[in-house]
Amino acid sequence: MTDGVLYEVRNVTKSYGQVRALEDASIMLRAGEVVGLVGDNGAGKSTLIKVLSGVHRPDSGEILLDGQQRSWNSPREALDAGIETLYQDSSLAPHLTVSQNVFLGRELTVPGFLGRMGFLNSKKMDEEAREDLERVGILIPPSGRTVTQLSGGQRQAVAVGRAVAWARTVILLDEPTNHLGARQSIDVLNVIAAAREQGLAVMLISHTLPYVLQVCDRIVVMRLGRVVADAPRSSFDADSLIGTITGSINSSPANEA
Amino acid sequence: MKSISSRLRPHVGRRRLRALASNQSAILVGVLIVLIGVFSALEPKFFSVATAGNILTDWGSVVLIAVGMTYVIISGGIDLSVGAVVGLSSVTAAWTMATVLGVGQDVQGSAAYGTMLVGAVVSVSVGALVGLINAFLINKLHIAPFIATLATMGACLGFSVIISTGMPIGSANDFSLIAPIDSSYVPFSWAVVAVIMVVTILGFFLHKARFGLYTYAVGSNAFATRVAGINVERQRTKVYVLSGALAGLAGMYVYIRLGAGSPSSGNGRELDAIAAAVIGGVALSGGVGTILGTVLGTLILFTVQSGLIMVGLAPDWKKVVVAVLIAAAVGAQSLRRGGGSQP
Repeated sequence: MTDGVLYEVRNVTKSYGQVRALEDASIMLRAGEVVGLVGDNGAGKSTLIKVLSGVHRPDSGEILLDGQQRSWNSPREALDAGIETLYQDSSLAPHLTVSQNVFLGRELTVPGFLGRMGFLNSKKMDEEAREDLERVGILIPPSGRTVTQLSGGQRQAVAVGRAVAWARTVILLDEPTNHLGARQSIDVLNVIAAAREQGLAVMLISHTLPYVLQVCDRIVVMRLGRVVADAPRSSFDADSLIGTITGSINSSPANEA
Repeated sequence: MKSISSRLRPHVGRRRLRALASNQSAILVGVLIVLIGVFSALEPKFFSVATAGNILTDWGSVVLIAVGMTYVIISGGIDLSVGAVVGLSSVTAAWTMATVLGVGQDVQGSAAYGTMLVGAVVSVSVGALVGLINAFLINKLHIAPFIATLATMGACLGFSVIISTGMPIGSANDFSLIAPIDSSYVPFSWAVVAVIMVVTILGFFLHKARFGLYTYAVGSNAFATRVAGINVERQRTKVYVLSGALAGLAGMYVYIRLGAGSPSSGNGRELDAIAAAVIGGVALSGGVGTILGTVLGTLILFTVQSGLIMVGLAPDWKKVVVAVLIAAAVGAQSLRRGGGSQP
């Protein structure tokens, strides 16, 4: 079953020195589907997301986007392919303003000679950043403020909104509900659902299992660098999911996704 | 708990931060006015075009490297080599003019301009090359900027003595470039005017252009900058090359001032530049600072130096006063952040 598969990695392995972070891991993302990626600390989730986003090159294995084999030399190449990523706690430059963060790496310049010299159209970026964030359902404070002046929840909202606003094919979210209260977390889950409706392939890493069970169509469980389960959400309940994560349930649901 | 949470309420914090941030330059201007007032009261001759001319002439050589230092520190680094680069670039420029071109000190005035242009190109190139070496050590060998630039500082000090055999090298010059345009009314020299233009352009690039934005971004969060698709190493390289090139330009400035390239002409200037930047509000942790702050910080530094001499205090007092200014500036910064390094 490969219909609708948009982005996948096959049999990737990645080691940091002696530590093997990923061992023969495979995962696929379909357009219009939310995949939950769960596992204990050190299971390899963050390493996998960094392979998918072009931060790390895998030691071995394949990366396929739209059936084409790809190899990212830098995060820029993955970004250019429409793959956006929210990294846990580290997606924003705190001393820059909200709109500077939203446009970081994709700045709008003024027309003419000054634009070619890299002079920025800050007014236009402020306006568009506000519109982009509102469009994806993130209520944001005035764009002229630096991120250090925002609360933890506001920062997280800006980081999520930035990723969703730019994503064209794939969006990878590592703990998007960190620092958020219950109501704001529901807002983020709604943003994720909206991204699915737009036909994006969404991957959600979260330790908050109720959210995973609520919003995901399919759940992938990792343990010690390996994918140990990959099945529709309906195959799991809270207990079996925890059991699969910790390893107390070894007979994982069939990999029927 | 209540007071802490209310202190962290964003709109209160924003208002307070805004007020202080917009006051940052105003505070520095206030400090400068108070200093000028105090020194003028103690020594009426202080308040004169001649004194202003002297202060601006000193300011011109250090503000160039202080602006480079501002870029470097905002990007999360430090450049200890710039003082040594001033000496090395002035010596190399003078050696090129005197030995390679064979032009002696007898060539003065406008006849010297062609030779001096060659000297300026050499001077800036030497500085840029040292900056490139700094960037290589930091990016490719992953040496901490403090250590990498300490090493190049030592090498530059050594080379400048080797090239000059420890003696100043004289060649063609036009001293009128460094003299006040009008000694009665205008304390600026053409050299200082040129420095102001360079600093202004670099201010626009830091605060209005992509080059500056990436400089702040790298110093603020290098990982976030990298995953936004920006080449962090390339940005660091540009910043260290800029710092080196500005030190080279300062080397040419010092050459024009002395009419000779002297190996010791920049010794210790890196510390003046760091002090000026810090007084001006640049945070050594990266991501924070303005060109205007550094310009004012440098002016304060030399107003203090000049004033203390004129009121008859030993120059050693300058170090004490500068120490107090640095402590006050950094203390104000950490109060502004609400408690500094405390968790």
